Amino acid sequence: MAEDIHCETAGTIWKLWVKEGDTVTDGQELFIMEVMKMEVPYEAPCDGVVKRLSIAEGDVVKEDDLAMVIG
Amino acid sequence: MSWKDEVDQIAERRRLAVLQGGEAAIAKHHDKGKLTVRERIDAVLDPDTFDEIGRGAGEAEVDENGNIVEFSPANFVLGFGKIDGRRVVVGGEDFTLKGGSPTEAGLRKSVYAEDLAVKYRLPLVRLHEGAGGSVGKSKHASLPSAVFNAPRFRSVAQAMATAPVASAALGAVAGLPAARLVSSHFSVMSNSTAQIMIAGPAVVERAMGEKLTKDELGGAGVHTKNGTVDNAAADEPEAMEQIRAFLSYLPSNVYELAPVSLCNDPVDRREERLLEIIPKERRRAYDMRRIIKSVMDEGSVFEMGRGYGKSQIMCLARMNGQPVGVWGNDPKVLAGAMTADGANKARRFMELCEVFHLPIICFVDEPGFMIGSQSEREATIRHGANAALTSALLNVPWASVMVRKSFGVAQVAHYGPDAYVLAWPSAETGPLPVEGGVAVAFHREIAAAEDPDAKRRELEEMLAARQSPFPRAEALAVHELIDPRETRPMLARWIDRVQPLLPSLLGPASFAIRP
Repeated sequence: MAEDIHCETAGTIWKLWVKEGDTVTDGQELFIMEVMKMEVPYEAPCDGVVKRLSIAEGDVVKEDDLAMVIG
Repeated sequence: MSWKDEVDQIAERRRLAVLQGGEAAIAKHHDKGKLTVRERIDAVLDPDTFDEIGRGAGEAEVDENGNIVEFSPANFVLGFGKIDGRRVVVGGEDFTLKGGSPTEAGLRKSVYAEDLAVKYRLPLVRLHEGAGGSVGKSKHASLPSAVFNAPRFRSVAQAMATAPVASAALGAVAGLPAARLVSSHFSVMSNSTAQIMIAGPAVVERAMGEKLTKDELGGAGVHTKNGTVDNAAADEPEAMEQIRAFLSYLPSNVYELAPVSLCNDPVDRREERLLEIIPKERRRAYDMRRIIKSVMDEGSVFEMGRGYGKSQIMCLARMNGQPVGVWGNDPKVLAGAMTADGANKARRFMELCEVFHLPIICFVDEPGFMIGSQSEREATIRHGANAALTSALLNVPWASVMVRKSFGVAQVAHYGPDAYVLAWPSAETGPLPVEGGVAVAFHREIAAAEDPDAKRRELEEMLAARQSPFPRAEALAVHELIDPRETRPMLARWIDRVQPLLPSLLGPASFAIRP
């Protein structure tokens, strides 16, 4: 089953640790957003592969923007 | 002479009643990706458990010999049924007849749904698709309702005070059905087919000059973010699944205890990842949902209202099979700060738990009320105080786990009436976080320093050390300072300890719950 990962809030993509096609494991850190001086890491919700990647480092994102799909 | 003719006529009326709006209307409904109300009822209930009430209600036309020539059933289908073997009342508008806008018999059946739930003390499931009254298309002018009739919403309020009420929006829901939809403990809307509106696009355009589609006006994108409904579902079957899941945590009414299920997840399970889940770096957030899932019974977490008041997370879950309410801050959203909508969400959730006597477990990382001009414009302090007072007056058992920050007035709401308090080593507490507090309290000292930034950091570090949980444990200001991996075993023992208290709480709450 594919899991969509959306940005919970607006912010900036500070660090991106994966690329399309990477295998990830449940709990692995995928990227870190900077939101109001906080560093907000996003983790893989399950084991899988990064099927689709919609963000790059430095991107300014809005709430609910799709960051990636893990499938 | 027997009564065969009459009995035949009863059978004929029963046959006609389930034809709903007719083949063409049903086909059109299906083409829009929607189920009919009878299919919806079958989908939400256990198989073959629907026990209908008032199937013969409707408008009949008979010929001169008394034979029925046309029968238009009431456009609300109502009855009893079972969900996971437990009896419920279920009902919904029939959109294939008059677009769900209530016929006389339909309205009578629809308002009877709450009466049945109150009388039989049963959960009520409403599956909505329909509008309110319409201006005169009826064949017969009906009498207006009597001035001395009971207020229509009295039974709606009584139902909420008596038994769980769960509702779904499955198509366009407007007017009276919309008000009843939200007068519930849990509401869900289908992403693909539902809109909720006080009035639809035509009325809005005429009165306001706003030209909007139904989805722009009242789709899931609007109403899952403002708290009108708790959850969205991908489609109708998922909405039904969510209703069934919600009810599984709740008792049938306020006079019974919530059903405890068999738990296969060991109560002494120590989750290793909890040891490092809170980053030592104070500016770094983490995944609170992962903490909640790691501590509660495996697979038991059901989140409500994820789309609004997002800094506060509310879930139903189980601890050793006992249903509980779980409240956690989300440090990913506004650092978990209490906002006006977060406070409203928390207040409503606490009241749900109190009415149905569910213990509450709180995972605290509360930096305080959200500050700034938007927060002031939203009257956050009033909504936040409401949550704090609600919490203080509850009776249900409450446990709080201080996982990180616990600051200011906003934190008060997270400790309930007399909480069992556990603190992780990462806990920090005080009147306000050091970063803000130092800047205010030491502004002269900082300004006068040779290197103001260095002075500020030095003061922050000194004061952060004072917010450590060790002195709090020494002072019995928390019950225990624990290894985070002990959280599940400790909470499981607590939930066992509070079991004898729960029966004494049964009965209606001391307040009237509101939507």
